[in-house]
Amino acid sequence: MTTFNLPDLGEGLPEAEIVSWHVAEGDSVKTDDLLVSVETAKAVVEVPSPYTGVVEKLYARAGDIVATGAPLVDFSISATAAAKPEVVATEDAATVVGNVPTGGEVLQETAVAGSSRRQKQGRIKATPSVRTQAKRLGIDLADIVPTGKNGQITGGDLESFVAKDKVQARSRSSRPKAIVGRSDQLRGPRRVMAQSMSNFRDEVALCTLFDDADIHEWINKRSMTARFLRAIVAGCVAEPGLNGFYDADTMTHETESRVDIALAVDTEDGLIVPVIRNVEAMSIGDIRAAVEDLKQATRKRTVAPQDMINYTFTLSNFGMMAGRYATPLMVPPTVGILGTGKLQHDVVAVMGGIEVHRRIPLSLSFDHRCITGGEAARFLAAVIQDLELPE
Amino acid sequence: MAANMAEVTLIDALTMAMAWELEHDPGVVILGEDVGVNGGVFRATAGLQKRFGEDRVQDTPLAEGMIAGISIGMAAQGMRPIAEIQFMGFIYPTVDQIINHAGRMRNRTRGRLTCPMVLRAPYGGGIHAPEHHSESTEALFAHMPGIRVVIPSSPARAYGLLLAAIRDPDPVIFLEPKRIYRLNKQEVEDNGKALPMDVCYTLREGSDVTVVTWGAMIFETMKAADQLARNGISCEVIDLATISPIDYETILESVEKTGRLVIVHEAARSCGVGAEIAAIVAEKGMYDLQGPICRVTGYDVVMPLFRREMDYLPSVKKITDAIGATLHD
Repeated sequence: MTTFNLPDLGEGLPEAEIVSWHVAEGDSVKTDDLLVSVETAKAVVEVPSPYTGVVEKLYARAGDIVATGAPLVDFSISATAAAKPEVVATEDAATVVGNVPTGGEVLQETAVAGSSRRQKQGRIKATPSVRTQAKRLGIDLADIVPTGKNGQITGGDLESFVAKDKVQARSRSSRPKAIVGRSDQLRGPRRVMAQSMSNFRDEVALCTLFDDADIHEWINKRSMTARFLRAIVAGCVAEPGLNGFYDADTMTHETESRVDIALAVDTEDGLIVPVIRNVEAMSIGDIRAAVEDLKQATRKRTVAPQDMINYTFTLSNFGMMAGRYATPLMVPPTVGILGTGKLQHDVVAVMGGIEVHRRIPLSLSFDHRCITGGEAARFLAAVIQDLELPE
Repeated sequence: MAANMAEVTLIDALTMAMAWELEHDPGVVILGEDVGVNGGVFRATAGLQKRFGEDRVQDTPLAEGMIAGISIGMAAQGMRPIAEIQFMGFIYPTVDQIINHAGRMRNRTRGRLTCPMVLRAPYGGGIHAPEHHSESTEALFAHMPGIRVVIPSSPARAYGLLLAAIRDPDPVIFLEPKRIYRLNKQEVEDNGKALPMDVCYTLREGSDVTVVTWGAMIFETMKAADQLARNGISCEVIDLATISPIDYETILESVEKTGRLVIVHEAARSCGVGAEIAAIVAEKGMYDLQGPICRVTGYDVVMPLFRREMDYLPSVKKITDAIGATLHD
């Protein structure tokens, strides 16, 4: 049982009149719940409950005058609540109004006056805009030599750092991967590439023709690779000579009836060239399905070795990342390879006006030992014509 | 422990300081409503009239303008009046006296007269008081030239800064955070030693963020700093202590070290003292800032009645949230 005495509600006033009770005996109350309204000489004051518990007894009724410090309410307080009343009405805490919280805690603090005690350990100085820019570029301001007033890094400092050290800056921007020097003997697809490129250099008389296919009319924009494959078939129909082999020893040019196209695919292990066979016999839907299968197989590394040899033509779709035109190199004994570059939105002249069309840059390389420029140009023209069809 | 060392509350420390000065300087006079017989609305002057007599501790009529005016007159003639205003909400009738006369005395008389008076007033919320008993309007006086505004935040600073305020030759508005009048105790030696005004007090050194605050908000801010320290965030907590003039060197040097600034005050946000601190750091500490300056303040509304007052005041959570936000920028 805890008795709550009428606190001094104002400036040492000796007594107060109970105006109304907001609780009755037996009520459960929480700390800060309204308990009673009392009128002092100064004002009507709402007294909140200092405890959480049950009201056991009210010592006065409305209209009674109660002396300051006289018992007002008995509370029965649960053990947990009793342990820590939030507001303790201490002797003569004396407020006109409200409760000044009291606590027994002893303050331990070290308060240092002023700033003279500090040793300078200045950090990097830079404007917020320079900091933001550096953050965006992934540059650590600590790497930059400041030239500004009071040792401040200026926008110019940042710019010249970027200009002077672009490569470094970029490597920082992709911090997770540091450049580590190493030496590897070539193996796997990369070894094959090295051999075939050496053969190529020793044998082939390379010539490359560049042009663009305007695909503004395309209806179905899915699977560009399938369209490239079909266009190659169209090229092969127009100029079958590019679809075949050249044997330098016997100076024999073989033209093939099947169109088996190798797709140059960039993987982490290097270039691999799985083959789609008999493309000439496929509908565009078949080709799409075949390309899809091939992608799966490539990703899972389940392309069998026999599916990577004995092809008649090559498609190199290098433009996925960047690069408009290239001089793609075929692997002997084949004699033709088509490279497709990055899709562009180009300004084109249309009937005397200007329009913006999507165009695909094309690079057709051929072995000039057995193919003439005219044959290559007609092949490319057929490729373009097929590519520019709406679907 | 020195003989006159005692664990005292903030309000005890104020009483101690006034008693010391009444005893040691015959020019010191206390005046205000019920400061004498009654001992003051919060008992700051309890027992002083009995000890030093009615001439030294004088009860006045309920007329704040008059209290300020009489104090100015006494101060200009060489006495050292300490006037008490019961609540900051009642201080506004003194504004004409304080701004037009106390703050200008030195300038107006070309330095022939000064105005060594202290106007004490409890301020701030959190004690469940009724209307206009809870707000923090220190910025009003901080804006006025010629007036010093001082706010203690611990018993030791209450003692040392009040002594300094009484002894200063110019007027001081001495605002007392009433919520922490009796919240804790501190060992304070009653030795008559003043603490310097016009400087900040660094209560906690840290390296990640500078938190500037004053008055009762020190309590929440130190708690927030403790919490954040457990998460590896190191806060430097600075008690502004003198609200005007601001010791911006301490703040700027701290921001130079931490690169980030959070200001906590319970006064309304707009045109608060926090805005001035933010402006100073933007002007003079711009190149050290690594993130935006952040303020945790009351709202731009009338200070609410007690059921909502804790929602109005910056809480530990609001402070830790703001510090977290400024660190992530």
